[in-house]
Amino acid sequence: MGSNTTEAHPIIANRMKKAVKSGLKIIVIDPRGIDMVKVAHRHLQIEVGADIAFMNGMMHVIIAENLYDEKWVQQHTTDFEKLKEKVRGYTPEYTSMITGLRESDIIDTAREYASANNSMIAYTLGITEHHCGVNNVFDIANLALLTGHIGRRGNGIMPLRGQNNVQGAGDMGCLPNLLTGSRPVTDHEYRKRFENYWGVEINPNVGDTQTRTFEKMENGDVKALYVIGENPLLADVHLNHTKGLLEKLDLLVVQDIFLTETAKMADVVLPAKSWGEVEGTYTNTDRRIQRVREAVIAHQNVKEDWEILCELSKIMGYEMNYQNSEAIWEEVRHLAHEVYGGITYNRLDKEYSIHYPCPDENHPGTFVLHERLHQNAKENQTKSPFVPVSYTPPVEVPDEEYPFTLTTGRRYETYNTHTQTRYYASGVKLKQTEETVDIHPEDASALGIENGDIVEVSSRRGSLTVRAKLTEQVVPGLVFMSFHWHEVPTNVLTINEYDPISGTAEYKACAVKLSKIT
Amino acid sequence: MTNSLTKAVKTICGYCGTGCGLILEVENNQIIKIRGDKEAPVNKGQTCVKGAFAYKYVHAKERLTEPLIRKNGELQSSTWEEALQFIATKLSGVKSKWGPDAISMFACARTTNESNYVTQKFMRTVIGSNNIDGCNRT
Repeated sequence: MGSNTTEAHPIIANRMKKAVKSGLKIIVIDPRGIDMVKVAHRHLQIEVGADIAFMNGMMHVIIAENLYDEKWVQQHTTDFEKLKEKVRGYTPEYTSMITGLRESDIIDTAREYASANNSMIAYTLGITEHHCGVNNVFDIANLALLTGHIGRRGNGIMPLRGQNNVQGAGDMGCLPNLLTGSRPVTDHEYRKRFENYWGVEINPNVGDTQTRTFEKMENGDVKALYVIGENPLLADVHLNHTKGLLEKLDLLVVQDIFLTETAKMADVVLPAKSWGEVEGTYTNTDRRIQRVREAVIAHQNVKEDWEILCELSKIMGYEMNYQNSEAIWEEVRHLAHEVYGGITYNRLDKEYSIHYPCPDENHPGTFVLHERLHQNAKENQTKSPFVPVSYTPPVEVPDEEYPFTLTTGRRYETYNTHTQTRYYASGVKLKQTEETVDIHPEDASALGIENGDIVEVSSRRGSLTVRAKLTEQVVPGLVFMSFHWHEVPTNVLTINEYDPISGTAEYKACAVKLSKIT
Repeated sequence: MTNSLTKAVKTICGYCGTGCGLILEVENNQIIKIRGDKEAPVNKGQTCVKGAFAYKYVHAKERLTEPLIRKNGELQSSTWEEALQFIATKLSGVKSKWGPDAISMFACARTTNESNYVTQKFMRTVIGSNNIDGCNRT
């Protein structure tokens, strides 16, 4: 659901496709006819942003047809009545109207998902990059919880993570609300543990997300920004706005391996070591900790990220001294022992990967989370609440002036802002070497656009020129672009509307118009 | 020092979150080939086009090899000493004038757990703010 798995997570897609041969049924829920549709049992070509209506519609059917285990729901969950009330109105007829899907497809999917022994939902940014991204995720959880498809092997919810260590970065505490080990900074006891070890008092207030930081840059509350290995100027929505905000700063530090578009705006740029030049660990999408090793010796004048921060820290009066990455990992293991206590470099060398939580060295790691949901409920055991949510349409819907919905995503051979994938080994034939706007042949024909024509794409925030690619992957009324190439900065078009809880922007839907350049 | 002998180094792919195990073949301090690691539990020897072939950036001549400081509107070559001292002075200045929450950090979802741990520790100890976030929202 909302995952173009073959292009964004090719190896996971391979494993899914292999499983199809041994009987796995895949249902693809995506506005585009993505490659995964070829092996799918069913493709639900949903309207962009109609996910909640669809899932509420599924739950309506599941409850109406009694396809859930009432006793289990009673034992392990709370607020079922609220959920029931919320989805009451999402009849197949109403759901069909909003989602553009056939009633029978909604009903069949609900029956199949609920009745199968094992069902899993894999999703990615097609779910989260909406103004209602958090509600979308809540509804996935509601669905899994209602049907008990969680806490057993072959079941559950699987967010496929986009960057090699986006999971790990958050788990380590690079989030405004969480300390290392993913416990809240507001948890007094847990914070105390870190304060004692670090010898400082930690600010007990939750910090700002990136989104909030941009707002605070706008009103002048944030004066200095330190960016490590990220290119927010190209990657974030409403590019022209982001640029103005970065210009306002008193200090912009960028630590990176290339002089990215963001680095070009910096006051100071620091050269960092790259993948292949460093030792350490990454945490992958299913919570595996794995060892990353130095293969080549870096240029003598570049330093590793942690090394730079330790040196800066020392100048600013706080000593951080580590011999090597393992010494840092030992500190992580010690402080967040519930999660990482049993994961040593030595074990990783022998076992390849260990799933956290792994509290001690005799613990095998945790392959499946939430198994308690299938054990007899203990007295006073915390129950899992349903969080009923309502469908809300995209903030900017097409109108007469801007008649198309633009949805954005990634392409197979390129990675994010393309600073690294510009450098392929020689001899590799690439299918796509520049950005295109992917448009349905019917729409193209109405606008007099042919495959390969240069067109202007405009939104209320900006415009750009790009080559058109005619494809039936998109439906009429929908166009698709990625943000990989700086020559075509797609995020000048996207809208700066955010989910109020996560701060994630609505990359997946904004209104645009197209015209042929003659 | 460079070593002309070919060596093979096991590591994890640096692109998406799948976490494929790779074997890097290295000659003269250059990655010359990448293979999927058959022992890797995630990919069992498979690779995608990015993981297997999009590695030349490590050796690109455009890599940054010295700190840069903006002087008279232009980014100019500098030394580590000067660059870090400049940042330290600026950050300390902002912190004492506007408070720690006038400083924000965008951490990196591509770098190691170890570097990320130190990054958040830097913000919470040296700066005194929880204004740290990553690209997990983009």
